[in-house]
Amino acid sequence: MNQERLLKVLLAPHLSEKSSVVADANNQYVFRVVTDASKPEIKAAVEHLFNVSVDAVRVSTVKGKIKRFGQRMGQRSDWKKAYVTLKEGQEISFMGGE
Amino acid sequence: MQVSVETTAGLERRMTVQVPEDRIASEVDSRLRQLARTTSIKGFRPGKVPFKMVQQRYADQVRQEVLGDVIQSTYFEAVTQEKLRPAGYPSFEPKSLEQGKGIEYVATFEIMPEITLAGFDGVTIEKPVASVTDADVDTMLETLRKQNAGWQAVERGAADGDRITIDFKGTIDGAEFQGNKGENVPVTLGGKRMIAGFEEGLVGAKAGEERTLDLQFPDNYGYKEVAGKPVQFKVSVKQVEEPQLPELDDAFAAKFGVEGGIAALRGEVRANMERELEQRLSSLVKQQVMDKLLEINNITVPQALVMQESQALAQQMRENMQLPADKSGSLSPSMFEEQAKKRVTLGLILAELVQCHNLKVDADALRRKVEQMAAGYDQPDEVVKWFYADKRRLGEVESMALEERVVEWVLGQVQVTEKSQGFNDLMNRA
Repeated sequence: MNQERLLKVLLAPHLSEKSSVVADANNQYVFRVVTDASKPEIKAAVEHLFNVSVDAVRVSTVKGKIKRFGQRMGQRSDWKKAYVTLKEGQEISFMGGE
Repeated sequence: MQVSVETTAGLERRMTVQVPEDRIASEVDSRLRQLARTTSIKGFRPGKVPFKMVQQRYADQVRQEVLGDVIQSTYFEAVTQEKLRPAGYPSFEPKSLEQGKGIEYVATFEIMPEITLAGFDGVTIEKPVASVTDADVDTMLETLRKQNAGWQAVERGAADGDRITIDFKGTIDGAEFQGNKGENVPVTLGGKRMIAGFEEGLVGAKAGEERTLDLQFPDNYGYKEVAGKPVQFKVSVKQVEEPQLPELDDAFAAKFGVEGGIAALRGEVRANMERELEQRLSSLVKQQVMDKLLEINNITVPQALVMQESQALAQQMRENMQLPADKSGSLSPSMFEEQAKKRVTLGLILAELVQCHNLKVDADALRRKVEQMAAGYDQPDEVVKWFYADKRRLGEVESMALEERVVEWVLGQVQVTEKSQGFNDLMNRA
């Protein structure tokens, strides 16, 4: 897979209460990814960037909120969220910086 | 906690304190836990942020805070442990502030000097003695008369000290200028209120007379356009009055709001003078006692205290003169250093005296003092109430009373020689 593309797929780690729960329970890590990313692409990107081996990837498209601007309706952009399950014994540390 | 103290110079001490890491770590930990309960980070409800995340985000900041606090608290612990009495605020110098190793810091400060009071053997104080005589009262009444002089129109030439009423009109080269005219203006000859030569030129003028004065405005005259220019004044004198001293009678007394005629006024004046004299005498004696105390007790005072005091003095002066803050450069605290040193030294000596000899002011004495201070006012009762209404005002009076008590006590310890002086000599020797 194209190296340049891999570096563009992951946007940011998604940190929330849910993400910390699943990290502890299922060894899953949550990322915000580009909307046109595919599961194999995400898998390759995570393996490449964090040097871990990935067990599975689940994705969901989060619909952007509809907001009103006076008379007009506005639509925020959709975005894609990926739950990445690592193989047992693997881990990613978002903390501590590079 | 390990403490070691070394003396550098005089009253200055260097104290090295070592604080073990676990004391800091446990404090940091408990603060972080406290923080985790309330902090809010995006994506989490308040208090639901994982502890690890809080730690990662706030650990450094909290540690800095804790270090500051730990230095403060251990400093006081160390000072009590070593039984030191520091004067002023210490300066801290941290030595190692690495994570996981505890900290070590050096505090530099000055300590209060140990005061041993010198004995009062062979110390003499000259106590002036004076009383108000009838002659003194007469002089005072004479002054009052002069201050309350009335004016009486006369038909003679104006002399120095007289008040004349004039109309005037001034011209410069025949042209008028702003403020050149005046009608029914009272001028006291010799009062130096007009430009130079104006009053002198009117000496000898009678009512109804007209005079022309050729004068020159001074160069520094307030009104710029005419300053330094020659000017001609046409003056017509309307009235000449001479000062008239009021008779010393009951009407005169009534003018001062004293009932009961001239005898009562005399009594009043006398009482006032006696009170002033008494205050003057006691302040003279006090001054002497203070000077002597300074003289016989030679102690080194902490520089920190002197600095503090001189800054306070400078501040006070600034407020009195009402200088704006940015002009403070002209009043540096170093100007007051000598005075401040004296005050600090005296303060220390007095405190020591009070403590050593257990001098106190009881409620009765305080009451007497307040009443004494109030006696100079029109409504003493109100003033007494005013003093008792505020703890701080009363505190000020109390410290004054305590000071007096000390002076009294010192007077009991030293030899006092009396010296009689006249009223005027004493009052005028400021």
